[in-house]
Amino acid sequence: MTAEEYFDSLAAVWDGEFVVCALGESANGWWNATHSDVAYYMHGAMGFASSFALGLALAAPERRVWALDSDGGLAMNLGGLLTEASLQPVNLTHVVLNNHCYQSLRGTPLVNGGRTDYASVARAAGIADVHEVSEPADLVRCVQARDRHTLIIADVAPRRGGEGRFEQPPPLPFEGPEIKYRFGRHTERELGRPVFGPRGY
Amino acid sequence: MTNVADALLAALKEAGVTLAASLPDDWVSPLLARLDDDPDVTHVRVAREPEIVGICSGAFFGGVRAAGVLGSTGLLTCISELNGLNVKHGIPLFLVVSLRTGVYELQTFQETQARTVLPLADTLGFPYVIIDRPEKVELIPHAFEASRLHKRPYIAWLTKSLLTGAQSEF
Repeated sequence: MTAEEYFDSLAAVWDGEFVVCALGESANGWWNATHSDVAYYMHGAMGFASSFALGLALAAPERRVWALDSDGGLAMNLGGLLTEASLQPVNLTHVVLNNHCYQSLRGTPLVNGGRTDYASVARAAGIADVHEVSEPADLVRCVQARDRHTLIIADVAPRRGGEGRFEQPPPLPFEGPEIKYRFGRHTERELGRPVFGPRGY
Repeated sequence: MTNVADALLAALKEAGVTLAASLPDDWVSPLLARLDDDPDVTHVRVAREPEIVGICSGAFFGGVRAAGVLGSTGLLTCISELNGLNVKHGIPLFLVVSLRTGVYELQTFQETQARTVLPLADTLGFPYVIIDRPEKVELIPHAFEASRLHKRPYIAWLTKSLLTGAQSEF
């Protein structure tokens, strides 16, 4: 299954969850599936979208948070699984799209790509509810379990274009500060409390 | 550091902090114990310091005031994340960091941090305040407000003279 198919399936059942996207494939893929300007698209800090989502989940326990992560990101922040396991906030769903490469680097191999069993790593870290899926329908079923902390490893085929070339989705057309203000104003409205102060900062 | 740790916790709470993420060094450990015990603060202990950057930045968007507590060595591990997230996106982040420099810092494993962290903060454009005496702890709530205005990492450095009561800037 391609990342595009997973993103399209998630978009079809997206029901107001706060979405945090790792930079690269996840951010560009979610943008292309939704054209949503109220997700948080990381433009740096590779590996730490899951930490960002964890902080948001702790700060907004009344709302569900989806972290759309990648295997490259998870590999950069494996220690974050321990932190996540120590808290396991019931409103956090952590999805790892596992394509065994750096898609944004045109398929450059990932360390130990294809051999590391991330689900077992997560379970060994202490995360109780871990799933492995290979079909978008199974991912949808897992993300709709709304009463517990969940980590899902989704097996993804690297994106390829004509003649087997690795391809990237088009990037989203805004960046840094605009992402911050769009998302922050969105969470303000949804949560009914201020993110920014009375002077706008 | 008993009294100083209590004062630091009180100052963070006066700033409105209800979430802290941390990784200890020996200087900030007493403050972390206070954070663990305080029922009004959610304290997250992390495995590596850049998680602090992500957690506190995400909490900002939940309308929660968060602070990271770490050592100088830990701060050095966060430079890419601070630049790629907080500077690039303009997200305020308040950090309480041990300032492992000055005449009292004679630990071999802190030597390079001692020469590096202040010029590095200057180079990166991170504003900071140096808390080197107990009476300066009251600056922390003001520094927290300033961090929001500046929309980037803002550091409250804790010195060893703060911990020992020595009459020296550092």
